Amino acid sequence: MKLAGNDILIQSLINEGVEYVFGYPGGAALHIYDAIFNQNELEHILVRHEQGATHAADGYARATGKPGVVLVTSGPGATNAITGIATAFMDSIPMVVLSGQVASHLIGTDAFQETDMIGISRPIVKHSFTIESAKKIPQVIKEAFYIATSGRPGPVVIDIPKDTTAPDKLFDFKPLDSVEIRSYNPPIEPDPKQIERAIEAILKAKKPVIYAGGGAINSNASKELFELNKLLNFPVTNTLMGLGVYPAKEDRFMGMLGMHGTYQSNMAMHNADLIIAIGARFDDRITNTPDLFAPNAKIIHFDVDHSSVSKIIEANIAVFGQVKNSLIELIKQLKAKNDLIDENLIKPWLEEIDKWTELHGLNHELYKENSDKNMILPQAVVQHVYNITEGKAFVTSDVGQHQMFAAQYYHFDKPRYWINSGGLGTMGFGLPAAMGVKLAFPEEEVVCITGEGSIQMCIQELSTCTQYNLPVKIININNEALGMVKQWQDMNYGGRHSESTYKSSLPNFVELVESYGHVGFKIEKNSELKTTLEKAFSIKDKLVFVDIYVDPGEHVYPMLVAPNGSLKDMWLSKDKKV
Amino acid sequence: MMQREILVILENKPGALARIVGLFHQRGYNIESLHVDPVTDIENYKDIEVLLNLKLKENEVSKLLITTTVSDNLLRQILRQINKLIDVLIAKEEI
Repeated sequence: MKLAGNDILIQSLINEGVEYVFGYPGGAALHIYDAIFNQNELEHILVRHEQGATHAADGYARATGKPGVVLVTSGPGATNAITGIATAFMDSIPMVVLSGQVASHLIGTDAFQETDMIGISRPIVKHSFTIESAKKIPQVIKEAFYIATSGRPGPVVIDIPKDTTAPDKLFDFKPLDSVEIRSYNPPIEPDPKQIERAIEAILKAKKPVIYAGGGAINSNASKELFELNKLLNFPVTNTLMGLGVYPAKEDRFMGMLGMHGTYQSNMAMHNADLIIAIGARFDDRITNTPDLFAPNAKIIHFDVDHSSVSKIIEANIAVFGQVKNSLIELIKQLKAKNDLIDENLIKPWLEEIDKWTELHGLNHELYKENSDKNMILPQAVVQHVYNITEGKAFVTSDVGQHQMFAAQYYHFDKPRYWINSGGLGTMGFGLPAAMGVKLAFPEEEVVCITGEGSIQMCIQELSTCTQYNLPVKIININNEALGMVKQWQDMNYGGRHSESTYKSSLPNFVELVESYGHVGFKIEKNSELKTTLEKAFSIKDKLVFVDIYVDPGEHVYPMLVAPNGSLKDMWLSKDKKV
Repeated sequence: MMQREILVILENKPGALARIVGLFHQRGYNIESLHVDPVTDIENYKDIEVLLNLKLKENEVSKLLITTTVSDNLLRQILRQINKLIDVLIAKEEI
């Protein structure tokens, strides 16, 4: 079959199973856009800013496990995509970004809308390609999808000079079935001997903790983790990125750990004699001061990425491989030694953890407050949303206090339902990510829990939601300030709120969303909170924006004491430190 | 801390060198010297061929020699980061 470069490109994407391309057209990408016009197998979603395209593709990828695909033009189109690419890179999300480029003969001449996209994106991609000729397109697309989705996933950029997609030059098009890259062989199966060593340590542990992160979700290892813990009955904590990989409703689940983790999770990690890290990378929001981290713990680290192991915390036993495959091997070997598991060995430990939970665990009944004498608590908003959606919604979020409240008080029983920018902490992520999730799962409830600061960073996507009729729910936890910044200023800078407030300049969000054709509600009183939220969630065919004014003085607790603190050093309220 | 020499064998492709140099900067490591050549003397790389279980062809790969002053732990981390790059066939300490 003879095709032009632009058609070869689109056909190659279709062959990869791509349903949606999120993008924005422009000069260097126009040949490609013409090829999109001439087919009806993949749908292009026109966003309002390229950052929105990357986050939407990212949300789609996190919810489905399939790679998100982005198409932007050269120059500003490409640079606008950078924040979203970095977001996906930090959280190891599979994504393929196609960026238009000026024609080959113009590269290096400072041509109109020319920028060195490969150079600019280099530190934040797993890999990148420049298309040298139309003939190479099938190979490059195949390699890009393979690299983006295998091993530790990540974003891949393909820079496409305009001449390589010219419609007037035809080439033989032969689809490729598979691809091999001799210099890229990510580990899959674990070394059984390392698993044996891990089991030896597991059987001896008196104070074990399972610490599972986003890598376990990327590897689709949720079922295996659950099965493993049916054998072990160990306490489990999840990172911010790992929420949902182990069901929150299970007795052994202690909640999130780290900077704003639960008291019991942080205490258990600090006092553990064995930490089983599964697809988690000991980042600084988890360890607090690395030298003070879990002083008595042996570390078993399961990961697909060699460079994540012993990077911050030295692992005693390292198991390289796809986490799912490693857990399958672990379960197999453990079952053969089932009679050696002594349940009594960890009983005092479980009791100790229960005591911590009782002592300073989170209060999950704040939603019961309905007196108008008090302002609405942001935590209670999340609890109501959890109750009304019966814990079954996809929840995307932005960055700040509302994100932490969502992570603490919405309980996730399944992986891929909690969609947030954990590593990069990108404000503006929530709404476009929700669009990507809603396109993938149109029948499911998709809620964006955000704040009035974050939502304004990608608020232009309200227009995209109108165009494609994406009835997501936006819960705007409005404290009329950059809450997390203000919290740090309260705690560490003598309450000097430098550039963190803008109260008098906020828009009327209800009128704003109505101008896009959406529905808006404003809530200011506790007595109206439940009924108005219920009304909002009863509307199924429209985007609903609920603007909720909460107590602006509220802080997120627990909060690790930093700098120089360990995991046991926490603020539990404004005046209580342990 | 001591001076180390790192040998990298990587695909001779445009942009491959920039990824390695960029990685040193991103991760806060310092390059003291850098030498890069296309590999033409295949017969001297038999051990690498055996290690990687592949046949090299003339000019198809490049050889990079980097010197840097780092601790044992940091060296291990640098090697793992370089080995993670898609175009890199192998990175190891040259002793």
